[in-house]
Amino acid sequence: MRFSYNWLKEYISGKLPDAKKLGDILMFHSFEVEGVEKIGKDWILDIDVLPNRAHDCLSHIGIAREAVAILGLRLKMPLATPKEDKNLKIRDLVRAEVEETEDCPRYGAIYLKDVQIKDSPGWLKERLKALGLQPINNIVDATNYIMLETGQPLHAFDADKIGKQIFVRRAGKGEDIKTLDKEKKAFALDENMLVIADLRKPVAIAGIKGGEETGIDKNTKNIVVEAANFNPILIRKTSQKLKLKTDASWRFENGIDPNLISFSLDRVAYFLQKVAGGKLACGKVDIYPKKILPKKIKLETDYVGRLLGFEISKAQCIKILTSLGFICNDAGPKHILVECPTRRIDVVASEDLVEEIGRVIGYKNIQSAFPKVAITPPKINEEFFWQNNAKKIMKELGFCEAYNQSFIGEKEKEDFQWPLKNLLEIENPISSLNKFLRPSLCFGLLGNVKENLKNYNEVKLFEIGSVFQNQKVKEKKMAAGILAKKGKKNEGFFELKGVVEELLNDLGIMDIWFDDAKAIPNNSITNLWQEQHIAEIKTNGKEIGFLGEVSFNLLDVLSIKERVFMFELDFEKIIKLANQDSEYKSIVFHPPVFRDLAIIAPSGTKTADILNVIESVGGKIVKDVDLFDVYSGVEVGEGKENLAFHIIYQDENKTLTSREVDQAHKKIIEELEKNPEWEIRK
Amino acid sequence: MNLEEIKNRAKEEIEKIVDLKQADDFFKKYLGKKGEIAKVFDSLKDLAIEEKKSIGQQANTLKKEIEEFFNTKNEEIKNAKNQTNPNHTAEKIDITRPGQKIQRGHLHPLTLVMNEACSIFQTMGFEIAQGPELETEWYNFDALNVPKDHPARDMQDTFWLRQNVSEIKNQKSKIKDNEDGFYKSNRLLMRTQTSPVQIRYMESHQPPLRIIAPGRVFRNEATDAKHGAQFYQLEGLMVDKEVAASNFKAIIEDFLKRFFKTNVEMRLRPGFFPFTEPSFEIDVKRPDGKWMEIMGAGMVHPNVFRSAGLNASVKPGLGWQGFAFGVGIDRLAIVKYKITDIRLLYQNDLRFLNQF
Repeated sequence: MRFSYNWLKEYISGKLPDAKKLGDILMFHSFEVEGVEKIGKDWILDIDVLPNRAHDCLSHIGIAREAVAILGLRLKMPLATPKEDKNLKIRDLVRAEVEETEDCPRYGAIYLKDVQIKDSPGWLKERLKALGLQPINNIVDATNYIMLETGQPLHAFDADKIGKQIFVRRAGKGEDIKTLDKEKKAFALDENMLVIADLRKPVAIAGIKGGEETGIDKNTKNIVVEAANFNPILIRKTSQKLKLKTDASWRFENGIDPNLISFSLDRVAYFLQKVAGGKLACGKVDIYPKKILPKKIKLETDYVGRLLGFEISKAQCIKILTSLGFICNDAGPKHILVECPTRRIDVVASEDLVEEIGRVIGYKNIQSAFPKVAITPPKINEEFFWQNNAKKIMKELGFCEAYNQSFIGEKEKEDFQWPLKNLLEIENPISSLNKFLRPSLCFGLLGNVKENLKNYNEVKLFEIGSVFQNQKVKEKKMAAGILAKKGKKNEGFFELKGVVEELLNDLGIMDIWFDDAKAIPNNSITNLWQEQHIAEIKTNGKEIGFLGEVSFNLLDVLSIKERVFMFELDFEKIIKLANQDSEYKSIVFHPPVFRDLAIIAPSGTKTADILNVIESVGGKIVKDVDLFDVYSGVEVGEGKENLAFHIIYQDENKTLTSREVDQAHKKIIEELEKNPEWEIRK
Repeated sequence: MNLEEIKNRAKEEIEKIVDLKQADDFFKKYLGKKGEIAKVFDSLKDLAIEEKKSIGQQANTLKKEIEEFFNTKNEEIKNAKNQTNPNHTAEKIDITRPGQKIQRGHLHPLTLVMNEACSIFQTMGFEIAQGPELETEWYNFDALNVPKDHPARDMQDTFWLRQNVSEIKNQKSKIKDNEDGFYKSNRLLMRTQTSPVQIRYMESHQPPLRIIAPGRVFRNEATDAKHGAQFYQLEGLMVDKEVAASNFKAIIEDFLKRFFKTNVEMRLRPGFFPFTEPSFEIDVKRPDGKWMEIMGAGMVHPNVFRSAGLNASVKPGLGWQGFAFGVGIDRLAIVKYKITDIRLLYQNDLRFLNQF
């Protein structure tokens, strides 16, 4: 809210520092001051009043109260002594009835006869304009002015346009109201909304805006000025529903003190008599069945110091609280009984009083001190630890880390043909781009690949993050990697397969194998992955993720020209499996012996099947088998492939003779030849 | 023995030598203990003094000459041997040519900042804790003392979920209505802050405790250069019998000093968070002299302790007190790396990522 420096000065006796200095002071003791700007002879302070102080500080008197407490000055309240006309009795002129006191804890009004409608004096217009309000006429301006002064929203009705009887009631179905603004917009009301009505119809949307029909115009003679208190939640809901936010609704939805009404009505009556003349009827309308009394809090004064971390005496506590308008009564050597002004709705417990004392003293006076407690070394967080390890491994393997949005939009859902029933949907998306939560990391990564291929021939990215699915377990941490290289063919698959193996091995997960992904966990997979180019990554018989090629279909939809390979691992399973223990195995000093073996087999033969034979027949002395060449061509024959292996023979305990190696090699060949489809090249 | 003759013979022989073995034989033959030169010196003892002197001198000269033959040859053989190894070429290297481009991976700047922040706090005894990004209304708001239907919930516009079933991973709390009738809402939302981790951790751990919880949070607002719908926070919580605001100040000052590697100036000013009382905003001074807000903090509100089933009491030694804070990781990254647009952090452009 914007505040006028000159105006604030009127409520303070004693010397106020200049506007900029005052801004700094408020910043360190009360609220953030977003700007101090000179307008004419005045300075405007733009103060971001904290939500818990909107009850009492969206007003000049409220801010002045802060300033006097901090600076040790005195508050000077403005005059509120209107002259009543003995011949006019309010009850003869206007009466009110509140149907729902929960909705409207207090309703007050005054009546002024024979006011003179005209423009406000120049100084008043200037002040309103500087604070962002449009001057209208002296009556409306006065109500606005007193609202800015006291924080109490006020509304003036033309007394002759509303009947004698005012009702505060819920709106009826089908009722509507034209409000007082330039557009004269009509609002449809419903039974969840509160209105001020006369016998016939609503004359104002309670706490938000007055109706056009009963507003002040140049012919107005007699006025009713209302000051009421409304249920904040009700006002907020109505304001949201009607999409109508006003200075009044803003204050009411934060909650204000019902006890503010008496002073505000006296003050506005006094002020109106100054700017518009008129005769004030004796008395007020005041329906206030449940009077709000001050809260009392017993404060242990040592607690203030214990929480803030510095010594503070009981006398100091009393002095500060008193300066803020709290009433302190002695309640024992270390206790005071604090009576809180009802405007301080925010203060309900000792901690709130500690904050009051702390901020008035100033938080800069808190001296840093390390806690006096034993340092126990923190426990390792497994999830965080393994996640970081995995990230470092992926980095070593040449991959860059991506952080993508947790959302996907309607378009991505369509592109990937992801089944809707599997998605978690945002109820209030800000745009179509974040309608759903991402069910997989592949959405973001594929988008990244597409963009980066514009600048790079090769893109290698990984991401570890949460994905969301409409299943029993809704949130799951995944790790994914993606690889795209211009001109890459199948070898991209094997490069990424190597990466997956290296990643898992480095995390201490050794027994990994890759199975044809046959069982489809959900429909989505068929559109995401290229058929027959997809493997299940398994360990201990359990699936922990997928490795494969992105379907050509999807790449077409996304207009990615290169072939793209990807893996996605269930990181929560990985964490359970990962371990750091590795044990040294003695280096074998007996020399290895190498033999090559080439086999012609029908295309589509599983290399794993050949390897199984070699390893099972060769036994322990087959140390390693390495597929070093795959060739298909005319020489090999139609529909056939030549697979060439290095076999490394080594015995841990002795040097193998060439006879031993030859024998083993021969046995392997014999076994392989038992398969009629396989031919060993000699 | 004619010295001249020995010299000629040696010269002749040395010419024919091609390998180190022959050179070694040559050395033994002439310069060894029983070699030709040694024999000459042996023969001197039978000669007259004059002769002894003259031949002795000549023999010394000869010895040096033959040694010279040997050394030269030896060197020659070694060099020749080197040259025959095809790997050992001695072409010139232009050391000004550029080095090979080695492609390495890069960690994301947010990871780097988070790891650095976490390791600083870990040295101060803080344990890392984590919680789900998909939260319930109870953990994100109610348990944190944010009143229902209060404008405070408007401060953080929330992504609510259409699906509202209650199973959430790691949900350890045994939700039941408590005495003051607080309805423990299972309504799903994307957490707007990392503070729910405070409750989750305190439900399962007895104080004293010190935790930090880094993680992704969400706000339903339009994205621009300074704000995004998602960003990262680092939550901190310390609870003990006697923990004061002064302790918070010391720990945060130390953190900032170590993180920014300089004595960064910071200030505390009043703030408002429903889950802390008193509450602070913390600003740091940037190199350009401007103050920047980097975290919210405060002393844990007693209602937060109550939500987590802990005892909060104003009597010394009877209840728990503590401080909590939330740092914006994206903000720290922006200051540390002088990043001008927050959106770069979630675009994954390799031209950006390769810089870290």
